[in-house]
Amino acid sequence: MTIILIRACILYAVITFALRLMGKRQLGELQPSELVVTILISNIASIPVEDSSVPMLLGIIPIFTLVCLDVIMSTIMMKSPRFRKLIIGSPRIIISEGVIQQKEMKRLRYTVDDLVEAMREQQIFDIGEVYYAIVETTGKINFLQKKDHQSATRADVGHGGSSYDPPSVIIRDGVKDEEQLDLLGLGQGWLNKQLRDNNVSTKDVFLMTADKNGSTILIKKAVN
Amino acid sequence: MNRLAVSISILSVMAAGCVISVFATNKITDDMHEHINLVEESFKRGEYSRSADYAKELQNMWEDMMEHSILINDLGHAVEITSSLAEIISFAEAENDEIYASCDRAQVQIEMLRDMQTPTFWRIL
Repeated sequence: MTIILIRACILYAVITFALRLMGKRQLGELQPSELVVTILISNIASIPVEDSSVPMLLGIIPIFTLVCLDVIMSTIMMKSPRFRKLIIGSPRIIISEGVIQQKEMKRLRYTVDDLVEAMREQQIFDIGEVYYAIVETTGKINFLQKKDHQSATRADVGHGGSSYDPPSVIIRDGVKDEEQLDLLGLGQGWLNKQLRDNNVSTKDVFLMTADKNGSTILIKKAVN
Repeated sequence: MNRLAVSISILSVMAAGCVISVFATNKITDDMHEHINLVEESFKRGEYSRSADYAKELQNMWEDMMEHSILINDLGHAVEITSSLAEIISFAEAENDEIYASCDRAQVQIEMLRDMQTPTFWRIL
Protein backbone atom coordinates (compact mmCIF):
# COMPACT_ATOMS: atom_id res chain seq x y z
CA MET A 1 0.00 0.00 0.00
CA THR A 2 2.75 2.45 0.99
CA ILE A 3 4.57 1.69 -2.26
CA ILE A 4 1.43 2.51 -4.26
CA LEU A 5 0.99 5.76 -2.33
CA ILE A 6 4.61 6.80 -2.97
CA ARG A 7 4.36 5.76 -6.61
CA ALA A 8 1.18 7.78 -7.11
CA CYS A 9 2.91 10.86 -5.62
CA ILE A 10 5.98 10.40 -7.81
CA LEU A 11 3.88 9.83 -10.94
CA TYR A 12 1.81 12.93 -10.12
CA ALA A 13 5.04 14.97 -10.04
CA VAL A 14 6.33 13.29 -13.21
CA ILE A 15 3.12 13.88 -15.17
CA THR A 16 2.86 17.48 -13.96
CA PHE A 17 6.44 18.07 -15.11
CA ALA A 18 5.76 16.24 -18.39
CA LEU A 19 2.66 18.33 -19.14
CA ARG A 20 4.60 21.48 -18.21
CA LEU A 21 7.26 20.38 -20.68
CA MET A 22 4.58 20.01 -23.35
CA GLY A 23 3.65 23.64 -22.76
CA LYS A 24 0.50 25.65 -22.10
CA ARG A 25 -0.62 25.30 -25.71
CA GLN A 26 -1.59 21.71 -24.98
CA LEU A 27 -4.15 22.67 -22.37
CA GLY A 28 -6.45 24.41 -24.83
CA GLU A 29 -7.69 22.91 -28.07
CA LEU A 30 -5.76 19.70 -28.75
CA GLN A 31 -4.28 18.84 -32.11
CA PRO A 32 -4.64 15.17 -33.14
CA SER A 33 -1.07 14.26 -32.12
CA GLU A 34 -1.47 16.06 -28.78
CA LEU A 35 -4.74 14.26 -28.11
CA VAL A 36 -3.02 10.91 -28.73
CA VAL A 37 -0.20 11.83 -26.32
CA THR A 38 -2.62 12.98 -23.61
CA ILE A 39 -4.75 9.83 -23.80
CA LEU A 40 -1.70 7.57 -23.85
CA ILE A 41 -0.12 9.31 -20.85
CA SER A 42 -3.22 8.80 -18.73
CA ASN A 43 -3.35 5.10 -19.63
CA ILE A 44 0.37 4.43 -19.21
CA ALA A 45 0.53 6.23 -15.86
CA SER A 46 -2.17 4.01 -14.39
CA ILE A 47 -0.26 0.74 -14.96
CA PRO A 48 2.59 1.14 -12.41
CA VAL A 49 0.15 2.68 -9.91
CA GLU A 50 -2.25 -0.27 -10.11
CA ASP A 51 0.38 -3.02 -10.25
CA SER A 52 3.27 -2.71 -7.79
CA SER A 53 5.11 -5.64 -9.45
CA VAL A 54 5.67 -3.47 -12.53
CA PRO A 55 8.75 -1.24 -12.15
CA MET A 56 7.75 2.43 -12.12
CA LEU A 57 10.37 3.18 -14.73
CA LEU A 58 8.29 1.16 -17.20
CA GLY A 59 5.65 3.89 -16.83
CA ILE A 60 8.00 6.86 -16.68
CA ILE A 61 10.06 5.96 -19.78
CA PRO A 62 7.10 5.83 -22.22
CA ILE A 63 5.56 8.99 -20.70
CA PHE A 64 8.74 11.00 -21.20
CA THR A 65 9.34 9.41 -24.60
CA LEU A 66 5.91 10.54 -25.80
CA VAL A 67 6.22 14.02 -24.32
CA CYS A 68 9.77 14.56 -25.63
CA LEU A 69 8.77 13.34 -29.08
CA ASP A 70 5.78 15.68 -28.99
CA VAL A 71 8.01 18.65 -28.11
CA ILE A 72 10.49 17.73 -30.85
CA MET A 73 7.68 17.23 -33.37
CA SER A 74 6.07 20.56 -32.52
CA THR A 75 9.45 22.32 -32.88
CA ILE A 76 9.92 20.75 -36.30
CA MET A 77 6.33 21.75 -37.20
CA MET A 78 7.12 25.30 -36.15
CA LYS A 79 10.14 25.38 -38.49
CA SER A 80 8.58 23.50 -41.40
CA PRO A 81 5.06 24.41 -42.59
CA ARG A 82 5.08 21.41 -44.95
CA PHE A 83 5.75 19.03 -42.07
CA ARG A 84 3.06 20.76 -40.02
CA LYS A 85 0.59 20.31 -42.85
CA LEU A 86 1.54 16.65 -43.15
CA ILE A 87 1.02 15.95 -39.45
CA ILE A 88 -1.95 18.12 -38.47
CA GLY A 89 -3.46 19.01 -41.85
CA SER A 90 -4.72 22.46 -42.77
CA PRO A 91 -7.99 24.34 -42.18
CA ARG A 92 -10.74 23.51 -44.70
CA ILE A 93 -13.45 25.82 -46.00
CA ILE A 94 -16.85 24.16 -46.05
CA ILE A 95 -18.92 27.28 -46.76
CA SER A 96 -17.37 29.75 -49.15
CA GLU A 97 -19.09 33.06 -49.94
CA GLY A 98 -22.36 31.62 -48.65
CA VAL A 99 -22.14 28.44 -50.74
CA ILE A 100 -21.82 25.05 -49.05
CA GLN A 101 -18.85 23.09 -50.41
CA GLN A 102 -20.50 19.69 -50.52
CA LYS A 103 -17.44 17.87 -51.91
CA GLU A 104 -15.26 19.22 -49.12
CA MET A 105 -17.86 18.23 -46.52
CA LYS A 106 -18.00 14.71 -47.91
CA ARG A 107 -14.20 14.52 -47.91
CA LEU A 108 -14.13 15.58 -44.24
CA ARG A 109 -17.04 13.24 -43.43
CA TYR A 110 -19.02 16.15 -42.01
CA THR A 111 -22.79 15.83 -42.12
CA VAL A 112 -25.27 18.66 -42.43
CA ASP A 113 -26.24 17.94 -38.82
CA ASP A 114 -22.64 18.52 -37.69
CA LEU A 115 -22.62 21.84 -39.52
CA VAL A 116 -25.96 22.99 -38.15
CA GLU A 117 -25.03 21.95 -34.62
CA ALA A 118 -21.76 23.90 -34.83
CA MET A 119 -23.71 26.91 -36.10
CA ARG A 120 -26.14 26.74 -33.20
CA GLU A 121 -23.21 26.59 -30.76
CA GLN A 122 -22.16 29.97 -32.10
CA GLN A 123 -25.71 31.40 -31.91
CA ILE A 124 -26.28 31.22 -35.68
CA PHE A 125 -29.65 29.67 -36.50
CA ASP A 126 -29.98 30.50 -40.19
CA ILE A 127 -27.53 29.00 -42.67
CA GLY A 128 -28.27 31.94 -44.96
CA GLU A 129 -26.39 34.20 -42.52
CA VAL A 130 -23.09 32.34 -42.98
CA TYR A 131 -20.56 33.77 -45.41
CA TYR A 132 -17.61 31.52 -44.57
CA ALA A 133 -17.32 28.35 -42.47
CA ILE A 134 -13.88 26.97 -41.78
CA VAL A 135 -13.05 23.62 -40.19
CA GLU A 136 -9.91 24.18 -38.11
CA THR A 137 -7.23 21.50 -37.66
CA THR A 138 -8.63 20.81 -34.19
CA GLY A 139 -12.00 19.91 -35.75
CA LYS A 140 -13.72 23.06 -34.52
CA ILE A 141 -15.82 24.98 -37.05
CA ASN A 142 -15.54 28.78 -37.11
CA PHE A 143 -18.04 30.95 -38.92
CA LEU A 144 -17.90 34.38 -40.51
CA GLN A 145 -21.36 35.89 -40.82
CA LYS A 146 -22.46 38.02 -43.73
CA LYS A 147 -21.99 41.76 -43.05
CA ASP A 148 -25.76 42.29 -42.76
CA HIS A 149 -25.94 39.85 -39.86
CA GLN A 150 -22.85 40.91 -37.93
CA SER A 151 -23.22 42.98 -34.76
CA ALA A 152 -22.31 46.62 -35.16
CA THR A 153 -19.00 47.67 -33.65
CA ARG A 154 -18.17 51.07 -32.10
CA ALA A 155 -16.33 51.95 -35.30
CA ASP A 156 -19.47 51.13 -37.34
CA VAL A 157 -21.48 53.66 -35.38
CA GLY A 158 -18.74 56.28 -35.53
CA HIS A 159 -17.63 55.98 -31.92
CA GLY A 160 -14.29 54.30 -32.52
CA GLY A 161 -11.36 55.41 -30.42
CA SER A 162 -7.84 54.33 -29.75
CA SER A 163 -7.27 51.01 -28.01
CA TYR A 164 -6.44 51.14 -24.34
CA ASP A 165 -4.42 48.91 -22.03
CA PRO A 166 -6.56 47.08 -19.52
CA PRO A 167 -5.93 47.74 -15.81
CA SER A 168 -3.61 45.38 -13.92
CA VAL A 169 -3.74 44.21 -10.33
CA ILE A 170 -0.93 45.91 -8.40
CA ILE A 171 -1.93 44.97 -4.82
CA ARG A 172 -3.73 41.74 -4.00
CA ASP A 173 -4.65 40.84 -0.45
CA GLY A 174 -2.06 43.20 1.06
CA VAL A 175 0.81 42.13 -1.21
CA LYS A 176 2.35 44.42 -3.82
CA ASP A 177 2.99 43.13 -7.35
CA GLU A 178 6.19 45.00 -8.17
CA GLU A 179 6.43 43.40 -11.60
CA GLN A 180 3.05 44.81 -12.67
CA LEU A 181 3.95 48.18 -11.21
CA ASP A 182 7.11 48.25 -13.35
CA LEU A 183 5.21 47.10 -16.44
CA LEU A 184 2.74 49.97 -16.02
CA GLY A 185 5.70 52.36 -15.61
CA LEU A 186 4.11 54.02 -12.56
CA GLY A 187 6.84 53.46 -9.94
CA GLN A 188 6.96 53.06 -6.19
CA GLY A 189 6.65 56.81 -5.53
CA TRP A 190 3.33 56.97 -7.38
CA LEU A 191 1.99 53.99 -5.41
CA ASN A 192 3.05 55.50 -2.08
CA LYS A 193 1.26 58.73 -2.98
CA GLN A 194 -1.93 56.85 -3.90
CA LEU A 195 -1.85 54.95 -0.61
CA ARG A 196 -1.21 58.18 1.34
CA ASP A 197 -4.11 59.92 -0.43
CA ASN A 198 -6.42 57.05 0.54
CA ASN A 199 -5.02 56.92 4.08
CA VAL A 200 -4.07 53.24 3.89
CA SER A 201 -0.94 51.12 3.97
CA THR A 202 -0.26 48.26 1.54
CA LYS A 203 -1.31 45.59 4.03
CA ASP A 204 -4.76 47.22 4.45
CA VAL A 205 -5.55 46.90 0.73
CA PHE A 206 -7.65 43.96 -0.46
CA LEU A 207 -7.42 44.84 -4.16
CA MET A 208 -5.88 47.69 -6.10
CA THR A 209 -5.85 47.97 -9.87
CA ALA A 210 -4.28 50.62 -12.06
CA ASP A 211 -3.84 51.36 -15.76
CA LYS A 212 -1.05 53.14 -17.58
CA ASN A 213 -2.80 56.50 -17.19
CA GLY A 214 -2.77 56.10 -13.43
CA SER A 215 -6.52 55.49 -13.02
CA THR A 216 -6.98 53.29 -9.98
CA ILE A 217 -9.57 51.25 -8.17
CA LEU A 218 -8.78 50.58 -4.50
CA ILE A 219 -10.75 48.23 -2.26
CA LYS A 220 -9.80 48.17 1.42
CA LYS A 221 -9.77 44.96 3.45
CA ALA A 222 -12.97 44.39 5.39
CA VAL A 223 -12.65 44.95 9.15
CA ASN A 224 -13.81 41.91 11.13
CA MET B 1 14.21 26.22 -27.42
CA ASN B 2 14.68 25.38 -23.74
CA ARG B 3 11.93 22.79 -23.97
CA LEU B 4 13.55 21.31 -27.05
CA ALA B 5 16.92 21.07 -25.30
CA VAL B 6 15.34 19.47 -22.21
CA SER B 7 13.38 17.02 -24.38
CA ILE B 8 16.42 16.00 -26.42
CA SER B 9 18.46 15.59 -23.22
CA ILE B 10 15.81 13.44 -21.50
CA LEU B 11 15.33 11.34 -24.64
CA SER B 12 19.10 10.86 -25.01
CA VAL B 13 19.52 9.84 -21.36
CA MET B 14 16.63 7.37 -21.63
CA ALA B 15 17.92 5.93 -24.92
CA ALA B 16 21.39 5.51 -23.41
CA GLY B 17 19.88 3.86 -20.31
CA CYS B 18 17.87 1.45 -22.45
CA VAL B 19 20.88 0.49 -24.59
CA ILE B 20 23.00 -0.01 -21.46
CA SER B 21 20.26 -2.18 -19.92
CA VAL B 22 20.26 -4.46 -23.00
CA PHE B 23 24.05 -4.87 -22.84
CA ALA B 24 23.97 -5.36 -19.05
CA THR B 25 21.29 -8.07 -19.37
CA ASN B 26 23.31 -9.78 -22.11
CA LYS B 27 26.48 -9.76 -20.02
CA ILE B 28 24.79 -11.04 -16.86
CA THR B 29 22.93 -13.80 -18.71
CA ASP B 30 26.15 -14.85 -20.49
CA ASP B 31 27.92 -15.09 -17.13
CA MET B 32 25.05 -17.11 -15.71
CA HIS B 33 25.10 -19.54 -18.65
CA GLU B 34 28.82 -20.09 -18.05
CA HIS B 35 28.23 -20.66 -14.37
CA ILE B 36 25.47 -23.19 -14.98
CA ASN B 37 27.89 -25.08 -17.25
CA LEU B 38 30.47 -25.03 -14.44
CA VAL B 39 27.89 -26.44 -12.01
CA GLU B 40 27.06 -29.28 -14.42
CA GLU B 41 30.66 -30.08 -15.30
CA SER B 42 31.85 -30.19 -11.70
CA PHE B 43 28.82 -32.36 -10.79
CA LYS B 44 29.69 -34.72 -13.68
CA ARG B 45 33.26 -35.00 -12.33
CA GLY B 46 31.86 -35.92 -8.91
CA GLU B 47 33.02 -32.68 -7.28
CA TYR B 48 29.72 -32.16 -5.50
CA SER B 49 30.79 -29.56 -2.95
CA ARG B 50 32.43 -27.44 -5.70
CA SER B 51 29.25 -27.84 -7.75
CA ALA B 52 27.21 -26.59 -4.77
CA ASP B 53 29.59 -23.62 -4.38
CA TYR B 54 29.17 -22.72 -8.05
CA ALA B 55 25.40 -23.03 -7.63
CA LYS B 56 25.51 -20.59 -4.68
CA GLU B 57 27.65 -18.16 -6.69
CA LEU B 58 25.08 -18.47 -9.45
CA GLN B 59 22.32 -17.58 -7.05
CA ASN B 60 24.30 -14.56 -5.77
CA MET B 61 24.77 -13.36 -9.34
CA TRP B 62 21.05 -13.66 -9.89
CA GLU B 63 20.27 -11.77 -6.68
CA ASP B 64 22.61 -8.97 -7.81
CA MET B 65 20.75 -8.86 -11.10
CA MET B 66 17.40 -8.78 -9.33
CA GLU B 67 18.52 -5.69 -7.41
CA HIS B 68 18.50 -4.06 -10.81
CA SER B 69 15.21 -5.74 -11.73
CA ILE B 70 14.21 -2.41 -13.21
CA LEU B 71 16.10 -3.67 -16.28
CA ILE B 72 13.65 -6.53 -16.69
CA ASN B 73 10.40 -6.15 -18.59
CA ASP B 74 8.97 -9.52 -17.76
CA LEU B 75 9.19 -10.35 -14.05
CA GLY B 76 7.26 -13.61 -14.59
CA HIS B 77 10.39 -15.22 -16.00
CA ALA B 78 12.45 -13.83 -13.14
CA VAL B 79 10.34 -15.68 -10.55
CA GLU B 80 10.77 -18.97 -12.45
CA ILE B 81 14.54 -18.49 -12.68
CA THR B 82 14.75 -17.82 -8.94
CA SER B 83 13.03 -21.13 -8.16
CA SER B 84 15.12 -23.08 -10.69
CA LEU B 85 18.36 -21.74 -9.16
CA ALA B 86 17.18 -22.70 -5.67
CA GLU B 87 16.57 -26.25 -6.97
CA ILE B 88 20.06 -26.44 -8.46
CA ILE B 89 21.64 -25.67 -5.06
CA SER B 90 19.47 -28.31 -3.33
CA PHE B 91 20.23 -30.98 -5.93
CA ALA B 92 23.96 -30.20 -5.86
CA GLU B 93 24.04 -30.49 -2.07
CA ALA B 94 21.93 -33.68 -2.15
CA GLU B 95 24.10 -35.10 -4.97
CA ASN B 96 20.91 -35.71 -6.92
CA ASP B 97 21.07 -36.38 -10.69
CA GLU B 98 17.98 -34.27 -11.26
CA ILE B 99 20.36 -31.33 -11.16
CA TYR B 100 20.89 -31.78 -14.94
CA ALA B 101 17.21 -31.23 -15.64
CA SER B 102 17.17 -28.17 -13.37
CA CYS B 103 20.28 -26.76 -15.07
CA ASP B 104 18.73 -27.25 -18.51
CA ARG B 105 15.52 -25.58 -17.37
CA ALA B 106 17.44 -22.64 -15.89
CA GLN B 107 19.46 -22.29 -19.14
CA VAL B 108 16.27 -22.11 -21.18
CA GLN B 109 14.61 -19.65 -18.78
CA ILE B 110 17.67 -17.38 -18.76
CA GLU B 111 17.80 -17.52 -22.55
CA MET B 112 14.11 -16.55 -22.70
CA LEU B 113 14.71 -13.68 -20.29
CA ARG B 114 17.55 -12.42 -22.49
CA ASP B 115 15.40 -12.77 -25.61
CA MET B 116 12.59 -10.78 -23.97
CA GLN B 117 14.95 -7.83 -23.38
CA THR B 118 16.50 -7.85 -26.85
CA PRO B 119 14.73 -5.35 -29.12
CA THR B 120 14.53 -7.45 -32.29
CA PHE B 121 12.19 -6.43 -35.11
CA TRP B 122 9.68 -9.22 -34.48
CA ARG B 123 9.71 -8.72 -30.71
CA ILE B 124 9.01 -4.99 -31.14
CA LEU B 125 6.06 -5.89 -33.37
